[in-house]
Amino acid sequence: MSELATYVTLGFRHITDVAAMDHILFLFALAAIYRLRDWQDALWVVSAFTVGHSVTLALAATGALVLPTRLIEFLIPVTIVATCVENLVVRDRRRTIWGGHYRPVFAGVFGLVHGAGFANYLRSLFVDRIALPLFGFNAGIELGQLVVLALAAAALAVLDRLLALAATRPGVGVLRLRVVAVSAAVALVAARWAAERSPF
Amino acid sequence: MAALVATLALLAAHPLHTTLTQLTYRDADRSVEVMVRGFADDFRAALGEDVTDSAASAYVRSGVTIADRTGRPLPAAWCGLKRTGDVLWLCLRARAPLGPRGLRLRVALLFDRYADQINIVQASYDGRRAALLFTRGDALKPLP
Repeated sequence: MSELATYVTLGFRHITDVAAMDHILFLFALAAIYRLRDWQDALWVVSAFTVGHSVTLALAATGALVLPTRLIEFLIPVTIVATCVENLVVRDRRRTIWGGHYRPVFAGVFGLVHGAGFANYLRSLFVDRIALPLFGFNAGIELGQLVVLALAAAALAVLDRLLALAATRPGVGVLRLRVVAVSAAVALVAARWAAERSPF
Repeated sequence: MAALVATLALLAAHPLHTTLTQLTYRDADRSVEVMVRGFADDFRAALGEDVTDSAASAYVRSGVTIADRTGRPLPAAWCGLKRTGDVLWLCLRARAPLGPRGLRLRVALLFDRYADQINIVQASYDGRRAALLFTRGDALKPLP
């Protein structure tokens, strides 16, 4: 296996492992508001998240930016809770700022936080040659995110079916039920993580 | 739903269980040096709070296997432990009279502790570099 492939594998395995549940749930929360036909919007948001975490991963892993680990570990679940709150509060995105197209911006900003979460690890182990591990690890993370997104889309489609069967009240859309159910559950999990990781 | 939330919440730690091993072949005395870097916390979890030189030596020698191209294990000698920040550096050396090509390696450190453990090897020999990746259940792998 080439060195690059080794680090791509490392990043891919990391993001697709259940131990990376905080990043997986963040992607799940981001994707929760989209239908399959909105895949382009979802891809924009996830791409913005990718750009954000690539920037801080590179800056922090090379030592250009030093971030306190405990604060970052606390902020990661906070970004998940914030995403869930946005999902719950905004009911009609067309009537919000920029017609709802602000989501890639906040996904990018939250990506900055998540990228910093990986950086200390890379900097500690790859002390002498960081460029290739950094590039490969990041590429593996991106590939893994696409897999997570595809699985999230499938899981949300199944959930929609179940909610459609269970929905008894007319006028309440399945999408809204799904957004509320997923966002509330993910927010609860992330709030508990935030409380456990609080540096204050 | 409550059970799902509780289960997911238990997965919060988001640890990265990885070691990085640098294998260097030295032509002058036909030997290989294996330098393992790993997080001190991970080794403390495996060896106890006080990671002593003798405990680390025994653990690394049992977890790292070096064999020549015929599959014959090469006896490895402990060459020390040092710590920088959160990282432990653990060193082994072995004579490799047949040279580096086809040398086989297995790094099984911490597999007994973490199901998601990944051990990476960066090898430098004959002016080239190669990498190997080990997960739980992997056998000896030859250098390309």
